Amino acid sequence: MAKGTPSITCDNLTAVQLMELDACTRCGECVKWCPTYDASGQEPGLAPRDKILRWREFMNKSYGLRARLFGPKEISDEEIDLFKTDVYSCTTCGMCGTVCESGINTIELWECMRANLVERGNGPYGKQNMFLKLITEYHNPYMMDPKARLDWVPPDVTIADKAEYLYFGGCTAEYRQKKLAFATARVLNKLGIDFCMLGEDEWCCCSALIRTGQHEKEEIARRAARANVEAIKKTGATKILYACAGCYRTSIVDWPRLLGEELPFEIIHIAEFLEDLIKQDKIKWEASVDKTVTYHDPCHLGRHVGIYDPPRYVLDNIPGVKFIEMDRIKENQRCCGAGGGVKAGIPDLALGVAETRVQDALKKNPDILSSACPFCKRNLSDGRDSLGAKELEVEDIIVLVAEALGIPLDDCVET
Amino acid sequence: MEYYSGLSGEAISFGMMMIISFIALGIFAHGMIINMNKWGFGATGYGGRQSKGSFIVFLKTFISYLRKEGVHHGQPILTTLVLDILLQRRILRRNPLRWFMHITIFVGWMTLFVLSFTMFFFEILHLVGFEILDPASLREMLAYPNTVFSYILLVGVVIAVFRRLFITDVRESTIAYDSILLLGLVIVVVTGFVSEGIRTGGFWGFGIENPAAPPAAFFHVIVSLFFCIAYIPYSKYIHVIATPLTILANKGGE
Repeated sequence: MAKGTPSITCDNLTAVQLMELDACTRCGECVKWCPTYDASGQEPGLAPRDKILRWREFMNKSYGLRARLFGPKEISDEEIDLFKTDVYSCTTCGMCGTVCESGINTIELWECMRANLVERGNGPYGKQNMFLKLITEYHNPYMMDPKARLDWVPPDVTIADKAEYLYFGGCTAEYRQKKLAFATARVLNKLGIDFCMLGEDEWCCCSALIRTGQHEKEEIARRAARANVEAIKKTGATKILYACAGCYRTSIVDWPRLLGEELPFEIIHIAEFLEDLIKQDKIKWEASVDKTVTYHDPCHLGRHVGIYDPPRYVLDNIPGVKFIEMDRIKENQRCCGAGGGVKAGIPDLALGVAETRVQDALKKNPDILSSACPFCKRNLSDGRDSLGAKELEVEDIIVLVAEALGIPLDDCVET
Repeated sequence: MEYYSGLSGEAISFGMMMIISFIALGIFAHGMIINMNKWGFGATGYGGRQSKGSFIVFLKTFISYLRKEGVHHGQPILTTLVLDILLQRRILRRNPLRWFMHITIFVGWMTLFVLSFTMFFFEILHLVGFEILDPASLREMLAYPNTVFSYILLVGVVIAVFRRLFITDVRESTIAYDSILLLGLVIVVVTGFVSEGIRTGGFWGFGIENPAAPPAAFFHVIVSLFFCIAYIPYSKYIHVIATPLTILANKGGE
């Protein structure tokens, strides 16, 4: 650092976010609720208020009164590195923002701090470094051939060339958790909903890039958003369906912000869509599930966007489902631990959080722990396996809907 | 000229108090400009580059936040002002005891400020020759509400001190940033009660003779001006400005 030059910049942090640092009253509510602080064994550096305090100190050392009078005070690389580790040990679940008495928008604060650190050359963390390269090269983070996007489509599924509805499959459902894609496509077919898909024109939604602060790096997230929006426009679809909470959140919140424009189509999560159909009495159930089911709110669908009731409405209406709630639900839900790049960057921490969430479910003794997000399903399944709770099934609600519609999914092979 | 707002005697004049008050306000304004300039180093929008560190940038960005629509959370400014800023609903949801503590401090502090400002206003009128209300009479009229809200403030401060001392997780997480705020409040409240007690010969005077009242009141006014105005931008007291603005910018929060 040259003498007289601040150790940090304010890039990616807005003027209001810098004010938010001074709004923290250190009441400690965020500490009580933070899932990663809890799962880390209460590592002090992971406490949200501690991160706010440290960045405020960084700001004061670099741009405060003292810095104006005597020049910026150097912040050591060790301090910044430690801070990076702590700020990346966060799933960006937003629980701290929900309970923040000062109303700080913590999700965006963490993401913007990360973006600042990426710009500075400190971030991202561990394997998260690969996201940018992979998405740039393959348009997905799984190093899969973009042309193979629709290879999962079974022969019985009909996908239209053009339709009012477009199913945005997402990388995880199309390349990994294919059961989710199978179920969604077959349910739509069964209900007589014509839909199209983007196929090889689909890019990763870039949720992973944005959550890990890499959204401004080489403009990839913006390019991907533009490519997706233009490809959707070409199909003429006006209603875009999502079965992935991460893609849904990114499309409805991040794409308009990245592109600086309103999207010319409606973004709908499959749970909202199904709720609407059930209310219109357009779903004829064919089978009874006969299971006790609880529901885990994905952060990206719940706290980030406010969709709490539609998945519950769907589950409540599936024949044979006895729906029960866990203690921590809706805006107070406990994160599954997979978000914010933690699953890729710090998998042990992600697993620790997942175990706690699975224990929340086990207290209610359900047959199925359901969710509406492939990342939640993956991490909760890992948590279940780690706890040895083999009797607990972890499943997406769209799969349960498929079952109740008499749709077989046995032919789906996941890799 | 006699100064009515709690002091008497020729040694401390209205002019002196005005000078001290303006010094406090000047320190406050200077600190606020430094803070807003610091905030003004931030970008004007999501993902943007650092700005030049001007309070104009901060004000423009703040206004842009007020105008933008939230995806799922967002409520009218009036609702936010009443429920989240004045009634502090977000604290009540989390911890009723902490809400009671904070609301008593907030109500006590703000009402005493308003009462003091009212007294000051009528003194100014008196000074320029408008005799709408005699300042001496007004001081007596305001004595009762001053006492009531002083005790309300005292209740809040006592709870705050109790929490910091006796609730383990609160005590263990306390740092100087927190302690200085509370220490300032304690000094302001205690000096206020003691100076008033000396003046009136009441319980809080602890038997100190009346001639000590002017310097005691003077000391109380000085520490009040310091902690309640001048020191705000340089300490945790900044939250009295930054927190309401944050809640407004985020439309009531998540």
